[in-house]
Amino acid sequence: MAVIPVVLLSCYPAGPEYVEDLDVTYTTFNKNFDFQTRQTYAMPNKIVVDVEIEDGDTTWIYMKDVFATPILAAIDDNMESKGWEKVDIGDEPDVLVTPAGLSSTTYFYSYWYDWWYGGWYGGWGWYYPPYYTISSYTTGSMIITMADPNVEDDSPINQSQTAWIAVGNGLFSGAYDISRVTDAIDEAFEQSPYLKLN
Amino acid sequence: MKKILSIFSIMLVTCGALQAQSNFTVAYSMGFASGDLSDFISQASFRGATMEFRKMVQPNIGVGLTFGWNVFYEELSRESYTAGSSTLTGKQFRYSNHFPMLLGGNYYFSPGEQFNPFVGLGVGTIYTRRNTDMNLYTVEQEAWNFALQPEVGFLYTLTDGAAIYLSGRFNQGFKAGNELESDQSYFTLNVGFSFVNQ
Repeated sequence: MAVIPVVLLSCYPAGPEYVEDLDVTYTTFNKNFDFQTRQTYAMPNKIVVDVEIEDGDTTWIYMKDVFATPILAAIDDNMESKGWEKVDIGDEPDVLVTPAGLSSTTYFYSYWYDWWYGGWYGGWGWYYPPYYTISSYTTGSMIITMADPNVEDDSPINQSQTAWIAVGNGLFSGAYDISRVTDAIDEAFEQSPYLKLN
Repeated sequence: MKKILSIFSIMLVTCGALQAQSNFTVAYSMGFASGDLSDFISQASFRGATMEFRKMVQPNIGVGLTFGWNVFYEELSRESYTAGSSTLTGKQFRYSNHFPMLLGGNYYFSPGEQFNPFVGLGVGTIYTRRNTDMNLYTVEQEAWNFALQPEVGFLYTLTDGAAIYLSGRFNQGFKAGNELESDQSYFTLNVGFSFVNQ
């Protein structure tokens, strides 16, 4: 009879098998933004992954070129195939495309400890030290935003509203498989037929 | 989930200890979804178990308890889901766990004979827990469905104390609560052994 519970526990569905199984791509756009009246875009040649502010000085941390180059190339390829023309930032682009990378680590831990009752003299107390188990997971997000820099005057806070946001999110595997990011970029553009210029 | 399975396992072992009073059945249970459940998960379930305790109040009538567990699982291919101006692409992992707990009665057509067909009806509840996993998140929906469970099957006696058990059941869980909007029902085919105390 005791065999049956073991069998029950061991036959529970396994769920995701590969880290790629958890990758998701999300896009959203501003319905009031007319993509068709725009044609040119500019994009920085570096990807920001962090910001450090020390004594009022802001330092941007950039992704290493070996990872950033294929990501930027994937964005360019997709923009061009949608009919957009890349121009320099000084050439008054219709939209700015700004990629960023973020990572977030979630820690979780559990602990247990024992207590004792010391009788007449002791009272209640704890055994020390408690034992901890700690684990963590890290997710990475690739975020691409598109905004028209020429409409900031229309805004009460002097900033351009984002017209399009794409987010690729997945679990860090430690393998630095950049194709997961470029696949997410391809998927984001597939999700966004409204970016296609006539 | 493992906690629930552990509780179920304890119940299984406890009921085994009761077998001296009458008749105890333990069986492997295959599930075939119907209705709303089959819309959620179309694949059959080959992960499940059931146990049944029957006290014979008449030579051909047994009453007692029925417990079971069936989990349906399906891994969807990478698909896009759009709501308004937002689109999300990723893989979904769908789980639906069902724990029937019923009071039941069986009518045996040929008590004491080697081939003993029976019909039965159970009344009670099915605890349903549906999980839709995507990325690192899950959407969990639960219901305690009022349940009816008609059953047909037979016992084929091997020795004085044991018989082969084969049955088909329809597990009808009526809509309950506001998390799952429909009835949760499925058919099971159960194959196992019945331990008879005479």
